[in-house]
Formats: sequence, C-alpha cells, structure tokens
Amino acid sequence: MIRTHNLRKIYRMGNVEVKALDGVGIDIGKGEFVGIMGPSGSGKSTLLHMLGLLDFPTEGEIEIDGIDLGTLNDYQQTMFRLYRLGYVFQDYALVPELTVMENVCLPAMLREDRTYEQNREATIDILKRIGLYDRRDHLQGELSGGQQQRVAIARAIVNKPDILFADEPCANLDTENSRMVLDLFHEINEEMQQTIVMVSHEDWHKEYFHRVIRLKDGVVVEDTTT
Amino acid sequence: MGKKELKVAFFLAWRSLIRGNRSSVFLNVLIISMVFTNMIFFPALIAGIGQNITRQIVDYRISNVLVEPKKGNDYITDLDATLDLINGMPGVERATPHYTMGATLKFRGRIVGATTNAIQPREETYVSPLYRDMVAGSYLGDGDRGEIIIGSALAGSANVLEADEYVPSLGGVRVGDSVTVEYVNNFKRDYRVKGIFTTGNYDMDSSVFTTWADMEEVTGGKLDKAPYITVKVKPGYTDQFVKTELLQYGVMEKVQTTSDVISKGMGRALESFSIIGLVSMMVSLVIAVVVLFIVVMIKTLNNRRQIGILKAIGVEKAVIMHSYGFQVIILASAGILMGFLFTGLLVVYMTYYPMVTPEFSATPFVTASDLATNGLILFVASVIAGYLPAWQVAREKIQDVMRA
Ligand SMILES: Nc1ncnc2c1ncn2[C@@H]1O[C@H](COP(=O)(O)OP(=O)(O)OP(=O)(O)O)[C@@H](O)[C@H]1O
Ligand SMILES: [Mg+2]
Repeated sequence: MIRTHNLRKIYRMGNVEVKALDGVGIDIGKGEFVGIMGPSGSGKSTLLHMLGLLDFPTEGEIEIDGIDLGTLNDYQQTMFRLYRLGYVFQDYALVPELTVMENVCLPAMLREDRTYEQNREATIDILKRIGLYDRRDHLQGELSGGQQQRVAIARAIVNKPDILFADEPCANLDTENSRMVLDLFHEINEEMQQTIVMVSHEDWHKEYFHRVIRLKDGVVVEDTTT
Repeated sequence: MGKKELKVAFFLAWRSLIRGNRSSVFLNVLIISMVFTNMIFFPALIAGIGQNITRQIVDYRISNVLVEPKKGNDYITDLDATLDLINGMPGVERATPHYTMGATLKFRGRIVGATTNAIQPREETYVSPLYRDMVAGSYLGDGDRGEIIIGSALAGSANVLEADEYVPSLGGVRVGDSVTVEYVNNFKRDYRVKGIFTTGNYDMDSSVFTTWADMEEVTGGKLDKAPYITVKVKPGYTDQFVKTELLQYGVMEKVQTTSDVISKGMGRALESFSIIGLVSMMVSLVIAVVVLFIVVMIKTLNNRRQIGILKAIGVEKAVIMHSYGFQVIILASAGILMGFLFTGLLVVYMTYYPMVTPEFSATPFVTASDLATNGLILFVASVIAGYLPAWQVAREKIQDVMRA
C-alpha cells in the first residue's frame, strides 16, 4: 500500500544541514495499524508529512497504491489528499466557527462522488459512533480536548480514506482520553480494515499497534510486528 | 472551480462572519458605508451647487440664450425689429430686452450704489420668475411710471445696524417709501417703491428694477436699443437649436447659450471643484482599500495554521482564497448598501435644511448613475484589496503555513 525507497529530507538552515530523514525504506500494507516511534527530533513527523503528501522529500520515492507521489501536480495532490487520505493532528485543528457536524462533513462537501444526503448520513453515523451525536451543534470552544480530538478523527474518516495519518493525536490528552482515542482507532482498524499510520512517543501505545517502526536520527532502527 | 467549491467557500465565509467577531464585522461595514457616503456626498453637493448656480443664471440673468451686440458695439440697435424677428422663430418662448444703468440710491441719509435694470414687465414674466419672488408690495406693471421694485438686501432692515450688514443697504425701505435715484448720466428723480423681492442671490437682491418707459425718461427719448436680450426657449427645444437658428436667421449679434456662458465664466471654478471631488474620492477609496486589506491580512495571518489544515485535508487553495474573498464581498456589499441609506438620509436632511450662502442655496444632487458607478468602483477596489492577501496565503506551502 505504502512503499518508500531511500527517502531523504534535508533541511538547510544557513550553513547547517539537518538530515531529518536519512534514507528511509518502509513498506506498509493495507489494514495495518502502524506506530512510528522514536525520540524527539528523530524524524517521525517529517516521515509522516512525506507519506501524507504534506511535504516533499529531498530525495527518494514514495508510492501509494502504485502511484508515484512525485508525479502529481499541485491540484492532483490536493485531490489525492481529499479522496484518499485522512489526517488527525496533535492540536485537533478544527475550524472554530463551524459546529461539530459542519466540521465533520466539511471535506466530504467537496467530493464529487458524495451527494448532500450521503454526506449527511455518513456524518450522523460517524458522530453516533464516536458518541458525540448529541453535541453535533456545538462549537469547538464548547468541547473538551478529548471530544475535539474525536471530532477531528470523525472528520478524518468520514470520507473512508485509504490511509489515516495521525501525528501524536494523544499528546494533549490525559490517559483516559488517550485510551478513548486509541480504542476508537483500534475499532475502525478492526471493523473497517482502516490502514492507520500513527506517530507516538508514549511507550504504552505500543499495545495498540500491529507494528512499530522506530526511528533514530532519521533512520529506521527497528521494525517489529507484534 | 465548480459549484460545489464555490458553495463551500461561501459556506466557510458566511460562518466565519456570523460566528466570528461581530463588532469587527459591524465596524468594517460601517467604514465602507462611510467611505461610500463620502465618495457620493461631496461631488453630489458640488453638482447641487452647480445646478443651483445654473438655475439662477437662467432665471435671473440670461435665460436660455443670450444675445449681445457684436464686437465693437455697446448696444443692439433696431431693438423692436430684432425682438419681433426673434419672437417669431420656432422654439422661442419669448425674447426680452434688458437695459442696465448704474445709479446711486438715497434714502434717509443712506447712500448706496446699485444697478438699475429696465425691463418690459409683462414680457419679462415669460422669461424670469422675478414676478413670483415679491415678498412685499407687488411686481411692476407695463403702465407704471415713477415706480421701482428693489431687492430685499438693498432694501435692508431697520433692525440691523449699518455696521453689521453683509452688503450695504438703505436701512429698511418699505413699500410706499420714496427713494431718490441718481443715475450715472446725472438724471435724478424720486421713485415710489412698489415692491420688494427676494431671490436668494445677493447680487440680484441688491439691484433695482424699473419699467422700460421710466428708463426712456432717464435716457431721454425712445429707447430702441439694449445692451442685451434674453431668450427663453420653448419646452422641447434645445438651447443649441435656438442659438443655431438665431445665427441662421441672420441675427448679426453675438449669441451664446447658458452653457456657453457658464463654461467661460465658471469653467475654472467648476474644474477645481471637480478636482477636489476627485481627490476626496480617491482618498476615500484608498482608506477603504487599506482597511479591507489589513482586515483580511490580519484574518489570514491569524488563521495561517487553520488554512494549512484545510489545505491538508484536501480543501483546494482556490476554495480557501474565495472563502476570504466572499467575506470581503459580503462586507463590501453590506457597507455599500448601508452607504446608500446614509446618502439617502443626508439628501433628505439637506432637502429640508439646505446649505445656504449669499450666492446660492444648495442640496446635494445624486443620480442613480453616480450611486451605481461609485458603488461599483468601491466594490471592485474592496474585492481586490481582500483577495490579495487571501491569494497570497492560500498559495503558500502547507508546511510553511502549518508551522505558524
Ligand atoms: N522546517 C524545518 N526546518 C529545519 N529543520 C527542521 C524542520 N522541520 C524539522 N526539522 C528538523 O528535522 C528533525 C526531525 O524533525 P521532526 O519534527 O520530524 O522530529 P519528530 O521526531 O517529529 O520530533 P518530536 O517527537 O519532537 O515531534 C529535527 O532535528 C528538526 O529540528
Ligand atoms: Mg513530531
């Protein structure tokens, strides 16, 4: 499903070169729940951004479903993200002027293959599933952090993406809420065969992952399937 | 950019305005409406003044077409024949002669210089509304002898001290009083004041009118000449038509329409007015553009991360740009509508309380095309000002905006 080859990302700051990724080759299959782990600054976020088409490698290739991401133009990239990828960020990143319902259906509103009714139905389904249906008309400011993150997850999966990317989705949450989010990931992974690539540096998250890819200084130092 | 995209952009824009900072929305609308009002109001006031001055010139000075002697002559001679000729032409309502002479008026120790106009009272009513401007006594009749009508400014008031007067007056002449008039040719006589008029123009209201027959007594003998003739044009004919006609019929005098005279005499003044109006409009526009630019700039800067997120989840940059663009479009439209309202209220107010000066009283003159043009200019300028920062931030790389 996802395949990278010799992936490098070099940041240049004046004369200093930072090798955020230094030759990463990974292969992630459909339906996997992969955790990317490693110390701070090891390149976890950088890798996720490359895979999720949010940034571009200095060198190397990324292939998703046989499509070389390097060949896509700006518009095609946007459409690729809209139709095939879902994202969850550390800070939830909801639109504060939109209600829960509106936030969740926003990306689907732009899809040509969804009617208004389909979109509405899918949104209601997903909100019921994450237990926030009765909060559907609330704004972001009226929700707790855990609730906001669940809304963000709902927004990411309402389009049934091929891959769900999450960059430390639990970083701002307490253990209880973290568990709720991870349980939700676990469920959608099990029930919908949702491929999930998640960055984490909490060791106890490991119990949820099928597979852990550990980075250090921009290279893969461990790749274990549990 | 399809319908779906525009719908989403509008949806985002609307939500952001409705659920965002209300007072900022209100202030933006208010500023745009003020700018619009400013754009319309000053030029409209100048147009109103111009119209008022034109009307006064038509009513009290030259009517629609002015006939003057050819170069080198002081008078149009053979007056009766010339008047008959002009009055017989199609499109001419009436042609009337005017004969003016400087004079000194004396009344109870006051001495004031004034222009005396000799008219044919009945005929003049077809050309000038002076007969309707009497505030005391009555207008002249053709058979009147030894009678004059004088302007209210010249007549003055017994209640105003001489030192406080705006223009010199006779200090309170009333109908029936006797005023001594000494003409520049030394002819001197007492006249009974038959009436007092007010036109609103101080020049006019400081002058004296007498009958043609009385003037013949002053000049001694039949007065078959005049320094100028005023011609009133019939409704449905243009001034230019009558002017051309007069020239073709062989009136060998100098012929000018009102607009000929105004463009010569007032051209410079009107030109400076319109430059002032233009400058004022440009300043207003710049204010509107800068305000909107800054507003959208701040919005986009504050929302950089959110813009990045939207791009990340697959919202096209055009949708993001239009979502800010639509906000400006909505703000500008609301502001312009509110500006329509303000302008309307101002015009209504000034219709009841016009701007009054010794020379004219004016109300702003607003046309639908002024409203439309200025509204459009302001709208286009606003939209450009809003789209610029939106376009800029929407095209940045996701990583660059997300990190903000
Ligand atoms: N835009 C950038 N410019 C310069 N250097 C960068 C940039 N982004 C990341 N880096 C550097 O690249 C390296 C990897 O960063 P990255 O954010 O991928 O680490 P991370 O593993 O996600 O760390 P954390 O656990 O703290 O989030 C770091 O040394 C970081 O300083
Ligand atoms: Mg990181």
